[in-house]
Amino acid sequence: MTTRSWLSLYALLIRTSIKSRMQYKFNFILASFLAALIQISEFLMVAIVLYKFGAIQGWSMHEIAYLFAIMTLSKTLYRTFGDEVHHLEKYLVNGELDQLLTRPMPVLLALMPQKFRIMLGEVLQGGFLLWWSLHGMMAAGQVGWSAVPQSLYIIVTGAVILFSIGLATATFGFWTTRITELQNLTEDAARTAAQYPLTLYPKWMSSILLIIVPVGLVNYIPSLYILRGELGVWVLPALAGAALLCLGISLKFWQFGLTKYQSTGS
Amino acid sequence: MIEAHNIRKEFKTPVVKEGRFSGLRTLFTREYRTKEAVRGISFQVEQGEFVGYIGPNGAGKSTTIKMLTGILHPTSGRVSIGGMNPHKERRSVVNNLGVVFGQRSQLWWDLPVKDSYDILAKMYSVDQADKEWRLGQFAELLDLQAFWETPVRKLSLGQRMRADLAAAMLHDPGVLFLDEPTIGLDVNAKRNIRHFLKLINEQFGKTILLTTHDMDDIEQLCNRVMVINNGELSYDGTVRSLRDTIGLPTLITVTFRGPFAIPEQFQGAGEGSRAVPLRVTSAVDNAVTIEVNRREMNTLDIFKELGRWGELDDIDMEDPDFEDVIHKVY
Repeated sequence: MTTRSWLSLYALLIRTSIKSRMQYKFNFILASFLAALIQISEFLMVAIVLYKFGAIQGWSMHEIAYLFAIMTLSKTLYRTFGDEVHHLEKYLVNGELDQLLTRPMPVLLALMPQKFRIMLGEVLQGGFLLWWSLHGMMAAGQVGWSAVPQSLYIIVTGAVILFSIGLATATFGFWTTRITELQNLTEDAARTAAQYPLTLYPKWMSSILLIIVPVGLVNYIPSLYILRGELGVWVLPALAGAALLCLGISLKFWQFGLTKYQSTGS
Repeated sequence: MIEAHNIRKEFKTPVVKEGRFSGLRTLFTREYRTKEAVRGISFQVEQGEFVGYIGPNGAGKSTTIKMLTGILHPTSGRVSIGGMNPHKERRSVVNNLGVVFGQRSQLWWDLPVKDSYDILAKMYSVDQADKEWRLGQFAELLDLQAFWETPVRKLSLGQRMRADLAAAMLHDPGVLFLDEPTIGLDVNAKRNIRHFLKLINEQFGKTILLTTHDMDDIEQLCNRVMVINNGELSYDGTVRSLRDTIGLPTLITVTFRGPFAIPEQFQGAGEGSRAVPLRVTSAVDNAVTIEVNRREMNTLDIFKELGRWGELDDIDMEDPDFEDVIHKVY
């Protein structure tokens, strides 16, 4: 199969997943509404933190909002396409992965479009924060227009890194079946921690967040360059390299995990 | 076509911890429970064969099928489907494979049946003309038209199974693996599906391996049967010789018109009675029940022998049920 036909198959599967979800219109609308509510309350949380603490350890209110925004948008991009990777446990527990393994396509490519999530609330929230923070910093002359394409770029590399972390975490499920606890640690806790500047944390912890669970590469490291001109322009290509490296390692681990799949009795 | 060389599958499950961070602690535990589901099975299935794979629940049937289809990786041993390894070349292998798990549908649950076929056709690169031609055939053979537009979740079990079979055949695979395709179906639906399977095996030369608990499936469809028990093959051969090997007795009930006498050597289960192929198990009034192994004594000889005992009024013969034969193998 050519890349083109893979893409069109992928698009078809995504359309199928949306069509399937639309079968339950009430549930779909209610779910979207509730998700928006949750986003609003989360946004209020962020607003309170920013208002209350303002600057943290030399990071201005706008800069912290920027860290938040990049993390939210990267996560949104990852979850829009890779939500089922995060929910792999479901497939392991009831053996639904069997079906995907009998399809003539890479398992991940069959798994990911099973559910395409439309995360409008997150996009709006993250988008607003990003606009607000960049707008504020531009007005203060801290950053120029080039920050906009750079931000979009690091949202993509960030999404790849978060996806890699999610995939590696999910892969542990081939041994343990249940992975929720581990996900709380590597995905939710780590991501929440990286919503603030890493200088806030003790050295060992910020090292973990940069090397073992590299969420710091999603927003903190690029912000050092984009917002404060530290490090150097090499950061941007290096991030792409790091993202691809993470992805490569996760994919290898995933391939290995698949050979340990246990299915379920029937 | 299908080859298995000494395949084994061990399941290792970590002992699940309880309490806080149980997932994380389970991850690092060193305690495992090991269960050997399949212990060294070898067989070969040739092109065009229709093989029944039977065994009690938990004997390792599904595990074997999952190893053959590339879903599970064997702990040791080798599998080859059409000369290819389903684990190393999974995608090429499944392109020539049709798989139906009776307990589970591979169709898109919330969408009309026909949508699933469109997606599968694209996935397996089946072109439009082939797709329509095949679906036309299946629709006729499996009577799919009636529920063409119905969402899969609203189908009856029989309809769903038919739809699933068509889905598995859409890319015209050479090999079909069917895991309990008749489970839970009524007589009509079973007949319908058996008819279809027989046809695609005989007319189109598809190689089929089927697991089932319904012995009628085996008797009516399979020319070869493999029995798995406790993870090991305990029988591999024709259905007929399976019957013979087990040698369950045929039950004969004879009614005599007048007085009769049973020669002593045939009476009861006393010593020496094993030596004679014919054995009287009960005699009530004029009706005598006899057990006989038909491999050791043919029907005509049985009648001759009985005729010597008295004047025959009626004879009723009951061959052993295949279910009982299987029960004996398990």
